[in-house]
Amino acid sequence: MASTALGPPLLCIVDRAYRGAVEVQFFDTLYGLLDLHGQFERVDVVLRGAAVTMAVAEDTYRPSVRLGTMELDTLPDYRTSVRELVAEGCTVFVDEQALTALGFAPEQLVPGTVCISSTALARRWPEYDQVWFL
Amino acid sequence: MKRRMWDLLLILTAPPHSGDVVTSALRLSQAVLDRGGSVRIWACGYSTMLTQDTFGDTKLPNTRNPKGHYPSPSAVIQRMIADSDGRFAWIGCTACSEERGAVHHVPQVRQRSPERLALTMAGARQTLYLGGA
Repeated sequence: MASTALGPPLLCIVDRAYRGAVEVQFFDTLYGLLDLHGQFERVDVVLRGAAVTMAVAEDTYRPSVRLGTMELDTLPDYRTSVRELVAEGCTVFVDEQALTALGFAPEQLVPGTVCISSTALARRWPEYDQVWFL
Repeated sequence: MKRRMWDLLLILTAPPHSGDVVTSALRLSQAVLDRGGSVRIWACGYSTMLTQDTFGDTKLPNTRNPKGHYPSPSAVIQRMIADSDGRFAWIGCTACSEERGAVHHVPQVRQRSPERLALTMAGARQTLYLGGA
């Protein structure tokens, strides 16, 4: 899809992870980015705090729950969303300190994401017109 | 008349779309139902939004998967009630509902004044308070 690019370059910082599942399904924070980034000249994403786990590649977790006779398999699928953001040209930064503090290594991240220290990331803020805290 | 005793009452004040508490409340309820128990949820605060009849049966279209089927929260809760053989019930707090203009609940929801909270607790063997409003 061609970008209409009406909006300025944005850096979007996600600190809070896991804002609902059954009530949210596809409509999570990363969906918002996937849905809207085409309106902006550029949208890059920073995952910090517990949100770094959204970019940890693992294939054992199934975003699915059974409620009554309903198998609800449309819960948020953050790893897939991160892969899609990367595929659509967004740079997804992952805060190195938060990642290692939670016991993960950069090698465990979804390919294409960028593990970066808080200091190095702060130096990149001037590349954007606006920094949004989602 | 002998008052019915429920096995578990969950007082849910955590808002949806902010954490995993709503999902946890539903999973916990299902686990009790799977063991043959009975559960009531007392929805307070913004959790009264979950059962509004204005949702319809499905969520809004997913622009990235327009043909996908995504049940609305009220549809999920209605389904759990329908599948429970009378062992799962949902109460909407009238004060919280009115405070938020969220007064159009699906018909399966019993609307109850907070003045009857302690009475509702007395009708359950255990009560868990899932806070966060």
